[in-house]
Amino acid sequence: MTAATEPSTVDGASTGPGVRISDLTVAYRTPAGELPAVSGINLELAPGSITGLVGESGSGKSTMALAMLNAVQQPGRITGGVIEIDGLGDVLSLSPKQIRAARGGSIGYVFQAAQNSLNPLKTVGKQLLDLGRSHGVEDKRALVRQAKELLSRMGLSGERVLDSYQHELSGGMRQRVGIMLALVLNAHVLVLDEPTTALDMISQANILSIIKDVHAEHGLTTLVVTHDIGVVAEVADRVAVMYGGRLVEQGPTVDVLRAPSHPYTRGLITAIPRLTGDPDVAQPLPGRPPTLGTIPRQGCVFRERCAVYAAGAREDCETVDPPAYDIGAERLVACHVVEEER
Amino acid sequence: MSGDIEGVGIVKTYKARGDVLAGQTVHALRGVDFRIPAGGAASFIGESGCGKTTLGRILAGLETYDSGRLSVDGVDLSGLRPKKREPYFRRIQMIHQDPYSALNPTRTVDAILTDPLTLRAKQTGRPKSWIAERQREVLSLVGLEPDYVLPRYPHQLSGGMRQRVVIARALTVDPDALVADEAVSMIDVSLRLGILKLLRELRETVGVSVLFITHDVATARYIGADGELYVIYRGEIVEHGPTETVIADPVHPYTQCLLSAIPVLHGLERPGPDRLTPTEPLADSQSDDGCLFAARCPFATDRCRTERPQLGHEGGTEQEHSCFHPARRHVVAVSA
Amino acid sequence: MSTTVEVPVANPVVPARRTRFLANLWKVLRRKPSRMVGAFIVALFVALGIIGPWLYPENLPKSADLLAGPSLSHLLGTDFEGADVLAELIVGSRYVLTAAAVAALVTVVVGVAVGLYAGYRRGRPDSALMRITDFVLTIPGFPLLLVLTTVWKFESALQMGLVLGLTGWGGLARSVRSQTLSLRERGFVEAARGLGLSTPHVVTRELLPNIAPYVAMNLLIGVTTFIYSQVGLFYLGVLPYNSTNWGVMIQLAVNNGVTQTGAGLSYLMAPLIAILLLTLGVVLLVDAMDEVFNPRLRED
Repeated sequence: MTAATEPSTVDGASTGPGVRISDLTVAYRTPAGELPAVSGINLELAPGSITGLVGESGSGKSTMALAMLNAVQQPGRITGGVIEIDGLGDVLSLSPKQIRAARGGSIGYVFQAAQNSLNPLKTVGKQLLDLGRSHGVEDKRALVRQAKELLSRMGLSGERVLDSYQHELSGGMRQRVGIMLALVLNAHVLVLDEPTTALDMISQANILSIIKDVHAEHGLTTLVVTHDIGVVAEVADRVAVMYGGRLVEQGPTVDVLRAPSHPYTRGLITAIPRLTGDPDVAQPLPGRPPTLGTIPRQGCVFRERCAVYAAGAREDCETVDPPAYDIGAERLVACHVVEEER
Repeated sequence: MSGDIEGVGIVKTYKARGDVLAGQTVHALRGVDFRIPAGGAASFIGESGCGKTTLGRILAGLETYDSGRLSVDGVDLSGLRPKKREPYFRRIQMIHQDPYSALNPTRTVDAILTDPLTLRAKQTGRPKSWIAERQREVLSLVGLEPDYVLPRYPHQLSGGMRQRVVIARALTVDPDALVADEAVSMIDVSLRLGILKLLRELRETVGVSVLFITHDVATARYIGADGELYVIYRGEIVEHGPTETVIADPVHPYTQCLLSAIPVLHGLERPGPDRLTPTEPLADSQSDDGCLFAARCPFATDRCRTERPQLGHEGGTEQEHSCFHPARRHVVAVSA
Repeated sequence: MSTTVEVPVANPVVPARRTRFLANLWKVLRRKPSRMVGAFIVALFVALGIIGPWLYPENLPKSADLLAGPSLSHLLGTDFEGADVLAELIVGSRYVLTAAAVAALVTVVVGVAVGLYAGYRRGRPDSALMRITDFVLTIPGFPLLLVLTTVWKFESALQMGLVLGLTGWGGLARSVRSQTLSLRERGFVEAARGLGLSTPHVVTRELLPNIAPYVAMNLLIGVTTFIYSQVGLFYLGVLPYNSTNWGVMIQLAVNNGVTQTGAGLSYLMAPLIAILLLTLGVVLLVDAMDEVFNPRLRED
């Protein structure tokens, strides 16, 4: 167990471990049978990279983030796949004891709505000590020192914050406390689920730059899960787009934003109102995102909202689930039409 | 079409609760002036806690104000008895942020729309058959299929559809204005623009004016590029002018910080060269003396810390602003 | 107008019509066997309460066999006078059930009305009503009833129910008020006010349906608690035996030495088990209330 006994690992030299997710499938038991919320995901997080996982509600992105900790809740169940983290092994085959140590230990996790995930009855400091105790940290002083250092790096007074209750902190401050708690035990992999939802633009910009800073300083491998392409554009090196439990496109952020390949990615980017140019360039996406029960069982999951499919129905879109085609330049796209026209 | 809405010097204070600030006066609005012409668009932008939500609630009659003048069609509402005032507030309908709590979960869309329409029919002496007709009409106006949504309960609809039902319900009373407070922030990204587009189109199709309250300047621009933009900071308007002018040429450092905070779509855009961040986060302890933004402003001078600037056109700007040192800075991302 | 119509992507759910309450109830009950059992038990007791007294003559025939155990002629044995216990149980159910039902009804009506009004109006009416509620809550119900029995003989179940109900609504009023306070901040209540809908409309159409499951549970559970408090009163012997009911049966069984000698055990056990059975039925049924009133849970 990495204890907080040593001074912080901020030596600039280390880079985070690589993470390889292969063929991950998570299913939920429903009255209509077991339905896959995440199916056959292959994703590699390069050592020291920030990856943005984008998707709408029901895309499976949060389920996937939980799977990184092997913490999918009932009635969900990881039905297959491997999540291999360098130096830790396959997360999905760790013993319950090992996985408990890894959560909050080498894998830091900032929950969705971290603003509200603190215990309202305990001070931040008390919760920090609870975390230390549950991970067998002996040197409490070092733990507190580490926490204060992290907080001051994020522009907060450690002394004051550790003595505060949740309600005494603003949304942006709570989010930073969440990041501190995720990193204080020297995590190497950081997973952030919707880190900026419910924050206003200025707090969001602030949190995003903090994420970039701690990522670099601590040598992390980071996964940012969000619905907001803007967030990904600001922080991530690579972007992976999820829809209906599938990964429909992935590649370097700049390239994907400049020239999105998958019709869904294209639609999402076109639907963002911008500050310059003709406002009418922005166009809404038709239809609505599928829920667990309405994801098509066969063929491409996006076809019902797809402009390309609407322009001329193709048979393989209806019958064959498109695999992730490699279209070069480190980009993968799960679309028959894109592959064919290449 | 009538329905000009005007506010002059609207002030609202609260007594704070909680341990730290208990008993202290919180200035939610410190004398705000605005005007929304019939069928027009006005956007209020600012951080959380800047008072923009309070302003929207005051306009919708959900909250009172301490002083100032609020008038609809030139009629000063402050002087009216509650009974006389109510019909005016009914002409300003609120679109809540959260479509999940804005619809009663135990009632079908049919029932949700029937109630206000029944009242309306009674008031205007229309026959019962009008209710069902009008129900279908407002649903089509918001782009919903009446046969599909009427028999359903809110939880059976997507977030986007729910927000459309909320808008349809507001339209049942033929309002002059819609107050939309962060109306899309809880809706799936692929559906947001559809709602924004709807609000924009309703301005033309039914002549309703839209007051849009948000922290996201880009959505404000989408709805009301031809309207007015008000930037609120700690209960005060710090910059106000035509939306496109304020976005393209902001002169107040606070506006510039807000615009700088909008994520840059790297690959499609390059960040503006003068991107600005506040020197400090917003805190309750910041001084009420001088310019309210001085504590966080990278350009604050001694004058800013002691003297309160007033809204004006100092420096010959097209928009009004309250900065002693207005300067053009290129903070908005540029297309790559 | 070019707004995109959001077309549902999968086969739409069968349109939920304004199905009638009973149809909903039936649908929800059928979902779990335990609920059906609960409903059956409760229905059985209700039926007993209604038709019971007509099944037997006013003065039950006495056999010579005193405090006998169960037999074919006396399924639950006999009492100390040789009367059939089953018959007594059935005849006695009416008083107990009526009083409990009246008490629960009074509790719910007063508690909900006070709670809703106080929570919705807030301010002065709220403070005034809550002071009254606190007063009702501080009345020690049991001792008060003891005192009341000295002046009032509770010959009719209605009187008994009324007194129990009027002293017992405080807790419900408090919790309905706090639910109302949080509901009135919800968007749909604000919207209803903004649309100019009347206060009675807001209270009965917007607020009430949202607290209905809670109220229904209180009604059901109220019935069982009020049975216990009545039986307690009769057991203490503070009330006259001028009517046959379960509490009197227990009291007489104990007074006639059943607990010492063990003879006539079924005489003692029959009313106790009846109470337990009814409680079990209610508990099984309560589980369904949330789903009956919440359209989201009602779905399959």
